[in-house]
This record gives sequence, structure tokens and C-alpha cells, in this order.
Amino acid sequence: MLALAGWFIAASALAAGASEDTKSATPNNLRVSAILESEGAYGITRDRASKLEFIIDPQLEYRFSEDTRFTAIARLYAEGFDHLEPGRPEQREIAPNSRRVLLGDRTDMELRELYLSTQLGKAHLTLGKQQVVWGKADGLKLLDVVNPQNFREFILDNFDDSRIPLWTVNAEISLGKSNLQFLWIPDRTYHLLPESGATFAFTSPLVVPQAPPGVAVDFRSIERPKNILTDSDVGMRLSTFWHGWDLTLNYLYHYADFPVFFQSLSITPSGAVVTVSPRYERNHLFGGSFSNAFGDLTVRGEVVYNTDRFLLTRNRADSGGVTKSGEMAYVLGLDWSGLQDTLVSGQLFQSWLLNSTNDIVRDTLDTTTSLLFRRHFLNETLEAEVLWLRNINEGDGLVRPKVSYELRDNMKVWLGFDVFHGNRNGLFGQFAQNDRLVTGIEIGF
Amino acid sequence: MQPKMRHTLIALFLLFPLFASIAAAEALPAGDEIARRINARNEGEVVSRFVTMAMTDRGGTERVRETKSFRKYFGKEKRVVIFYLSPANIKDTAFLTYDYPEADRDDDQWLYLPAARKVRRISASDRGDYFLGTDFTYEDIRKETKVGIEDYAWKTLGEEMIDGHRCFLVEQIPVNEKTANELGYGKVQSWVDAEIWMMRQAKFWDVAGNPLKTSQFKDIKPIQDIWTAHQLISENHKTGHKTVFTFKDVDYGRNVKDEIFTEDALRRGF
Repeated sequence: MLALAGWFIAASALAAGASEDTKSATPNNLRVSAILESEGAYGITRDRASKLEFIIDPQLEYRFSEDTRFTAIARLYAEGFDHLEPGRPEQREIAPNSRRVLLGDRTDMELRELYLSTQLGKAHLTLGKQQVVWGKADGLKLLDVVNPQNFREFILDNFDDSRIPLWTVNAEISLGKSNLQFLWIPDRTYHLLPESGATFAFTSPLVVPQAPPGVAVDFRSIERPKNILTDSDVGMRLSTFWHGWDLTLNYLYHYADFPVFFQSLSITPSGAVVTVSPRYERNHLFGGSFSNAFGDLTVRGEVVYNTDRFLLTRNRADSGGVTKSGEMAYVLGLDWSGLQDTLVSGQLFQSWLLNSTNDIVRDTLDTTTSLLFRRHFLNETLEAEVLWLRNINEGDGLVRPKVSYELRDNMKVWLGFDVFHGNRNGLFGQFAQNDRLVTGIEIGF
Repeated sequence: MQPKMRHTLIALFLLFPLFASIAAAEALPAGDEIARRINARNEGEVVSRFVTMAMTDRGGTERVRETKSFRKYFGKEKRVVIFYLSPANIKDTAFLTYDYPEADRDDDQWLYLPAARKVRRISASDRGDYFLGTDFTYEDIRKETKVGIEDYAWKTLGEEMIDGHRCFLVEQIPVNEKTANELGYGKVQSWVDAEIWMMRQAKFWDVAGNPLKTSQFKDIKPIQDIWTAHQLISENHKTGHKTVFTFKDVDYGRNVKDEIFTEDALRRGF
């Protein structure tokens, strides 16, 4: 706790020292800026400081013309306690040319984004390493699956930080009131999952195969797609504005970003061994999204059909401990802003497996809800919010109260709690030991 | 002089100021006529400009945002987009609004928040909510120098000089309680330039009748033959918070593409 307090004082002093007249825009066509973010966390249940990270994101933008610009964003990341990614993560999920450069156990560098954006007739092209974000949902992802995610902090990190940018050809063609987007993603990078021993390493039987007591586990390396052409992801999105509705139709042919853990049981002279062979599997995603505002109410939603979802089963003899099913899923969200400076937002997520069997470890119908209450004070310099995510099937959830304050023009500080509750087999409940107090500071230069 | 005649002359003398004021009032344009003249004023089919938004709280702490904004008419429908350029931590935030001419049709509004990298549809019914921490409401931002004629009962109160310019003083009372609650105003007094039909000052009261804020339109000069305020100041009397919008590089002749007023353009940024 003292370490966190010391960090906060040091960070504040650094912010105070930042020049007040710092501008992100330099003359002419070049803009150079940077964001320094530092966040510390104290594990309440474990009674120890669990995170002390410093992130610097320098950004350079050069405008060749009104329609053409080049953007580069890098990141220097340092974490003081080495609990989130102990040692030097192997980054096997990441394509070799997209991996972070590890400068030690606690520090790394990364090229976050590097792209050229230009207009060619009716087409807008964005070429390079970038983030592509689909969908209307908050907090949980149905359509927002184009880019993988770093689960170093489960879903606690903000998505802009945790989303992993990919080398992508992104073409958007204007069709009058509609827009057609094509994506070609040769970057074979997938979700970065915390390794065993990390604070947020997955343990839930819903996502990690469980070995029977006394049985050894041989965990093989992840089998990665190899061919840059045939193993690329491709996608398209048609978006339009129709009678007040924002509508999209989406299609993505991709490797699902979670590996499938195929298992086999063998008997060796030293005893029974479960061999786990993770590999990525293809999926067709068909989906759409919508949003509209009616008075104080905004309605938004997403609908998705996944052709090939691979789910863990209780029976290892059955297709390597996994089974394949189609999945229908949707999210419906309602945002109410009837009180000044106040937002109340509720969401219902449901996922339904079309070829479910009794052996599958999750329920055929899985339901998660979210409720967000947010209010601004003092001309939006002070923001207070509470987010509650809850899975109905497992009875577990996550509550995140947070207060943030814009201390100065370019500086924001925050204080919050991340509190997990419920069944330890659940996606949220597995982290019941990871409740934490979080405080942070962000400074723009 | 006969006593009767003397009494008549005295009565006429005493009543003269009343007749004079009635005559003067009749010479002033009616309130809704002034509102129509404000809205009929040429503000250009398109405009692009840089806007510096400086917000100062009661304690003197100042926050400054640099933005680029575009406005374009599509028939009678007005579209406005604002891109934030600095500071770095809110850079790329963007706001888009479609302001429809039909009084019974809600406007459409979108907000792009770079932290989420998502465009969020936002309700347009909270016209009285303050726009991204400023002392201007979403309605102020949408209307710019225009007014919502149908929202108020308009009444001309007289003439006054503001910054050396002859102005009509107009009182605006919301047409009903619902509108008052939506706008956040119980009464407005506006000083409208009698020559160029542009507001030079406005005072606002909240729905409970308490003084709320004062707005001033400064540095008004013609750009490409269109009268343009280069500084808008709004000071909230309740909070002591003050916002100054300063406009530069105002251009009414630039070719502004239709595609810039779309959700995709918000996402791509300026």
C-alpha cells in the first residue's frame, strides 16, 4: 500500500512538472503527441500490491494532404511486480512480426499501430497495423472480434489498450448512404492468454480442460496456422443509415482467437497422461448490428451466428474432449439519459448452442447481463460510475465502481474497485481472489 | 386659457410618454418576426473552421480543447461535425449531428469516443445537457447562431445598445413546461443586432426562475460577406464556470465533402 501511495505522489509530481502549454499539434502537417498512463492495483483478498504499470504511447501523425495521412503509435510498457505476465512471455499466440520486444521481465516495447490512410475515388483505404472495431455492445464482445485481445488483466483493462492491432488491408467504399468495408488480415495473431502462474491465468473449467486427479498433463505448444494467404482472415461489413437506424451487416471468415484444447488420454509406464494439443480453428461469423434513439432512450444491439464454435466436453473420448456446435448469440442494450448528465445502461447477452449435448461443460443457453450507472459532475471534470456484469448461469459476476477526475487540461486521475463474486468455476468467479483497488493517472503531452 | 382646455393640455402632457412608448413599441418588430429574421440570415451553405474551446472553473483552472468543425446544409437539413484535435488524451473524440427542419422530428446525434473506438448513438432529447463539459448546451451547438422559433413565445421588450450596436431586446418564454425542462431554461432574454439580425448577447434563467448564464457573441465581422462571430462566451452564474469559443480560419467557400458527415468519418477522424 505504501508503494502505491509513493507511486501516486511521484506520478502527480511528474504531471505537475509537465508544461502547461504543451501542444499535441505542431505546425503544418506533422502532429506529435504522447500519452503517459500509470496504474497501480492493490489486491484486497491477497493483501499485496498486484500491479504497478507505466505505459507511454508516443504518436506521430503526418498529413500528406487532406485525404492522406500516416499514423504511427508505439508503446513502452513497464510493470513493477511482474505478476500479470511473469518472466518473459513466449507470445506463441502472436505472429512473429507483431510480437512485442521484451527488454526484460518487466519491460517491453511494441509497435501498436502503423498505417497509411488515403482516399482513392470513392474508396477509403487504411493499410497497415491497425484496430478495426465492429459492433454496438459495451463490455462483452460479439461482433468486436476482428482484433484479438490481450487478457493479461482479463477484461479489466480498457479495450483500446487490450485490443491487439493487426496488419490489415481495410478498404471502405462509399455507396451514397451506405458504406461497404472489406478486410484482408494476413496477420495470424490471436488472443494473448496469461500463462499459468499469472494473476489472471484462466482456471475455469468452462475454458480450460481439467485433468482428473493424479493424472499428469502434457501441454503441447499451440499449433498455429502457417500460410499467410490461405490462413488469412477476411471480412466485410455493409453499414447504412435508414430511417433513423444505424444498421450493419457483417461477415468474417476467421480463425477464432481462442485456441481449441484437443485432449487425448494415454497410459505410459509412469502412469496416465493427458496430452493437450491446442490449435486454432476456422469459423464463419454472420452478424449484424443496429441502433436508434427514441426520446431519452437509445436502443442498440448485435446479432451473431457462428458456424463453428468448439466447446470443451466432460468426455475426452469424444472427439478429443471438444465438440463442435453452431452458435446464435445476441446482445440487446438500452441506454437511458433522462436525467441531466446521467446515463443508465442495461444490456442482455444470450448465447445459444445449436448442437448442444449433455457432455458440453457450458449450458446450452448462456445469459449475461450488464448494468452501468454513470454520472458527470462539475462540467464533466468528475465522473462516477458503477458497472455490474453478471452471468446468470454460473451466478458469478464483476462489480466495478470507479471515480475519475480531470485534474488539469491534460491530466486525469481515477480510483476504483474491481470486485469479482460468485461460483469459482465461472468466468468471473474464477478470479474471486483477485479483487483489487485500482488507482491511476493519465497525462497527455 | 379656459380651465377645461388647460386640464386637457395637462392630461395630454402627462399621457405623452405613454403614447410615445406605445408608438415606439409599435415601431419595433414583433418578437417572432425578429426570430424569423435571425433564422433567415445567411450563414452559408457550408462552413469549416478551427474552434478553440477554453473552459475555466470558479477556481481559475483552465482546460483548452482545439477542434475542427464543419457544417453543411443538405436541403433544409443541417449537419454539423466536430473533431477534437488536442489535448492528446481526448484527441479524436468527435461529435456529429443531423438537425432536421421538421419540428416534430428528433435530431440524430453520434459521439465517437476514442477510448472505446466506437461510435455511440446518443439521445437528442436532452437538448439542455451541456456539451462535453462546456457551458453551451447540445441545443446551442446544433443551432449555432439560429434559434428554435417553435420552442418559445417571443416578445419584443425594447431597444438597447450592446457594444455600441443598436439591438432589439427580445424575451423568450418556452411554449410549455416540457419544452422548458428539455431546454433547461425558464426564460431567455436576447439582444439582437437591428442591422445584421445576429444575437449579440443572451441571458438565461433556469426553470425555477433563477439567473443561469449569460452568453455573448463577440468580434462579429463579415467573412466572405457573411457576418460571423469569432468569439462566443458563456458564463454560468450558478457554477462560476465559463466557456470561450474562439473561431479562426472560418471559410464559407471550401468544398466540404458529404462523406465527412457520416459515422465512418467520425471513426476515421480528421
